[in-house]
Order: sequence, then structure tokens, then C-alpha cells
Amino acid sequence: MENPYIPMPMNVVKITTEVDTNDIKTFRLTFVNKADEDKFKYLPGQFGELSIYGKGESPIGIASSPTEPGYVEFTVQRTGILVGGIVTTALHDLEEGAQIGLRGPLGNSWPIDFLEGKNVVVVGGGFAFTTLRSLINYMIHPENRKRFGDITVVYGARTPGLLLYKDEMAAWQKRKDMVMHVTVDKGDANWKGREGFVPTVCKEVAPSSKNAVTVICGPPIMIKFTLPVFFDLGFSKENILTSLEMRMKCGIGKCGRCNVGYKYVCKDGPVFSLAQLEELPRDY
Amino acid sequence: MLKKIAIDQFSELVKALMDRGPLYAPVKGKEGVDFQMIQDPADVTLDFYNTVLSPKFVFFPQSEDYIRYRIIQGSPEAQPVPLESRPAVILGVRPCDVRSFEIMDRHFLGAGVIDPYWKAKRDSTTVIGFAFDVTQPADPADFYNTFGYGAADPEGSDIFMIRTGKDLLFKGMTDRGKKLLDSLGCLQKGDDRDEKTFEETVEKGKTVRTRSAEIDDRVIAKKLVSIFDNGEFWQKVSMACIACGVCTYVCPTCYCFDISDETLFREGSRKRFWDACMFTDFTLEASGHNPRPRIFQRYRQKVCHKYTYHVDKYGCISCVGCGRCIRSCPVNIDIFGIVVEAGKL
Repeated sequence: MENPYIPMPMNVVKITTEVDTNDIKTFRLTFVNKADEDKFKYLPGQFGELSIYGKGESPIGIASSPTEPGYVEFTVQRTGILVGGIVTTALHDLEEGAQIGLRGPLGNSWPIDFLEGKNVVVVGGGFAFTTLRSLINYMIHPENRKRFGDITVVYGARTPGLLLYKDEMAAWQKRKDMVMHVTVDKGDANWKGREGFVPTVCKEVAPSSKNAVTVICGPPIMIKFTLPVFFDLGFSKENILTSLEMRMKCGIGKCGRCNVGYKYVCKDGPVFSLAQLEELPRDY
Repeated sequence: MLKKIAIDQFSELVKALMDRGPLYAPVKGKEGVDFQMIQDPADVTLDFYNTVLSPKFVFFPQSEDYIRYRIIQGSPEAQPVPLESRPAVILGVRPCDVRSFEIMDRHFLGAGVIDPYWKAKRDSTTVIGFAFDVTQPADPADFYNTFGYGAADPEGSDIFMIRTGKDLLFKGMTDRGKKLLDSLGCLQKGDDRDEKTFEETVEKGKTVRTRSAEIDDRVIAKKLVSIFDNGEFWQKVSMACIACGVCTYVCPTCYCFDISDETLFREGSRKRFWDACMFTDFTLEASGHNPRPRIFQRYRQKVCHKYTYHVDKYGCISCVGCGRCIRSCPVNIDIFGIVVEAGKL
């Protein structure tokens, strides 16, 4: 019997610092064992438990797409020392060539079957763009692009220096088969793009709700003000999807920590539609 | 086929069981009687009402190592800890506690991923249930009648044990239990009179009254979720709570755990250990957000988990009415009274 608590060994082959505050890095991992790689089949929206012996485990969304074979990427924010952050700090201290542990893939995913044939509006704020990046790269892959309708992306960060995946973003902006709206709360001297909060930009862009689904990830305050915009545009609660955050440990629905009502976010989620969330107690 | 042994010969049975593998049985300690792995047959006692801690630790230890590691520059050396699968016996489990194992099975074995640690120990352990003394009244904290259990119900045990005047009677309830009984040379065959005593005790057990209420799983599940936002109720019933978490530690059906690495001088282990939804940092996220910063929210989670979420997810209430959380609570919070009260709202 497979033991779901034992991590696979992974090589850290590439570390990219994403933001000018240096507290968000992307780790590219390759599998030490070929058998592990063959078994690791995932979809955008899933997560993994990264671990360092002596420090512990942390649940982190998968930032790469299954259309990028050979490696898995995780974008990790180093969190404050007052509320934990032991694992993320240790990850940030790593150098390329180190070995760490991974359990996964865990959780459900963005519902690819449900998104198929529909226009997809991706809305992200700040650091919460990692599994959205996975989804976008999955949808725009040449083999998959035809399966989805129009792809519209609204992505915002507080400052230009806090935008993730800048090179990729620039490439996406040049593409004809998707529309990108990148915004910052406040630009700097070099910023030539849009300024404004994500909800405001969504209102201006006003994507049609016809045959459309929106996928929203970001800080609670952004989600709070973005939802009414999408209601006004006519999006139903079934067609508004988000990925929930709860403290997790086991990642497989056993340790009892991340429940909202009778759902475990780690196993039944993290992806829920607004309609599904409204059936659960407000305990998140 | 019933088996029996004279009570003054009981230590012979204990020795025979210890020869087979780990034996867990009640032992008298400073704070009361609790299950322990037996080293000396003389330690075992059958003179107790119920144990302070539940027997869940036999399958779900308070702390359990997954992996032992050494931290070496470059690549760490790590070895998974082999699963515990020696043939063990747990002797002296009260009928309501036996039912708790089935409730926990639904969580650890019945849905999604199978928990290998729980499974290995469950598969290799024979449960010897033990009837309450049916001539004595139930403890005032108990409410296991609510769930339809009697004081001497043999269901769920591999072997069920009843104490008569001078004998202990044993009935094999499962193939595993019958096989174990057959292998124990120190036991004698019971006769018709013993059979009759056994059956009479089981029946008499049904007349031992604990506190009881009509609580339908589905009805209470719906009710509690319907009053989820009734902050006044939840604050009132949890006002005295100091969030010490003892209710979850003594509970036979609380299974929440934490996973952590403990290292000393470059060697250590990744382990899981009991955690409690009553603790303030149980749900504290790295961002600083905490969905349940207040005690009433955590107490509500505990009650709703047992009486709503477990019903919705696994089809039954995860409480057996053993009364431990009530007896151990330093501020006399009574989950039974609260659930009954909630049902009236």
C-alpha cells in the first residue's frame, strides 16, 4: 500500500526571485526517481506539500502547468516569523542543487471539463496568481487552446515590482489568442501600464458573462469588491470559481484541520464555486 | 462457543496474551485507570468504571513517528518508520468505546485515502470488549443510551468479556476473536448455565439507564447548521470554556492531528500528534488570518463536527456518549445538555 505521508525526494534545479521585495521565489523541482515522475499526474489548481527535514511541511499551489513536462514549479512567499514561516524561510535559504521533499498532487483542480468550450475570465491579485498561471499556461498550450473560448486575464499587484512572472506576462501580452490587463495600485517612474484596483479594472474591461466562467484568486479584500462587479455583469454563482485558503497539515483529508462545514479544503477543495461555498457555514 | 476462566486465574490469561504480542489493558494509575501496554501481568485491573483516556491511542498514538532522518550537508538521510503490525490485543474496552473504533474507521479507512498507520494497527489488533457492571447504575456523565448502546452490548468486539461472581466469560464475536479464544489453552469451555448468564447479562445491560434523549442523526445535523449563525447561543453555551482542549484529548472519536518535525542534534523524526480544534492557533494561517479566533467559534466547530459534519460526511454522529469530556472538563461543560438544548431551538 502506498503511504501518502511519505514525501518523494526532489532536486531543486532552478530558483527565481520574482519580486523586488525578494520574499517571493519560484522553485523548479525535478524528480530524483523516475517512477515518482511517471506517477505525478496533476491538473492546474492542485497543490503539493513541500518539505525540508528538520523544518516541516508547507502546502503550496503548483505554479507550473502539466503541459510543461519534466519538472514542477512552486512559487513560495517567505512568511513572517511571528506566525510560523519556518518552512518557507528554509526554502528561501536554499541554493540550487539542494534536495527537498514533495507530497502530491493534492486537492481537486480548476474544473477543466467545466471550463471547456467556455470563455474564461481569469482574475488574480498579488501573490495569489500561482495556480492561475498554471491554468493559463495549460489553456494556451497549442494542444489545448482550441478547447477553450476567449481567454481574458486581469492581474493586479500593489506595485510594478510585486508583479509575478514578468517575462511570461510580457509574452502573454503579445499573444493574439488572449487578452491581458495588467494593473498596479500605484505605478512608478518606469511604469507605462494601467493603474487601478482589480475590481475597477474588471468593471472597465466588462467581460461578457455569456457562456463565460470567471476564476478569481486574490486577497479577501479584492475578492469582496470584485464579486459584485461580476454579479452585475450577469455571472451566476455557479460560474464564479475560487480557490480557498485554510491552514492545512496532512493534505489528504485526515488531520481534520482545514474543514469548512463538512468539506475538507485540502481534499474536497481548494477549488469551489461561489454556489458551493454559499452552502457551507461561513467559517473561513 | 463460550469460554471462561476463574477470576483468580486471570493472570494466566494475561500472561498467555502477552506471549502473543503487545497487550493493552487497564492499569491503575495516580489519576485513575487507563489502558497501558502491559509489562507485568499483576498490573492489570478489572476494577474500574471506565478509563480516563479513551483507548483510541492503541490505533492512533498521541505521538507517532512517520520518518526518522539525519540532517547531513547536501542530501538528508531519511527512512520511513515501518508500520506497526505485530498481533496485538486490547482487553477491557467498554461497549460504547468499542463503537468509537467503528466511527473512526469511517474516517481513517472509509473515505478517500486509507490511513496506513490506523489500518495496520486495526488489522492486527484483537478487541476484547468488557461489559459494564450491570448491577450498578451508570455514571451520571454517561449518555450512551442516546445512541442505542447498552451497558453490555457485545457488537463490535472481536471477543466480548463479562464478569460474573467468580468467573470471566468470553464469547467470540468475529472469526478473529473465535480463533484467538481457541488458541488460549488456559481457558475452559463454558456450559449451558454460562451461556444463559451471558445472555441474561447482555439483556440486563439494556436496562442500565444512562442519560438519554431522542437525537436523530440527520435532524440534529440540520438543526445545528441552521443555528450556526446564532452567536448568542454558542456564546452562552461556551461562556465558561477556557479552551484547554482536554475534551478532545480524552475523546474516543476526536482524530485531529498536527504534523511536525522534531530534531535534536541533527537527528529527528517527522511525526503526527494529537491536536485540538479548541486551540487558538489550530486554524491560524501564515497570513495571520484566523477563521476561528474566538472560543465560541471553536466550541461551535467541535460540536458541529461531531453532530453535523461527521453525519454529512460519514453518515453517523461521531460521539458515543462515554461521558469523558464531561467528567474531565474543568468548567463542567456538558455537550449532551448543549446538543439537547440546541435541538429545542
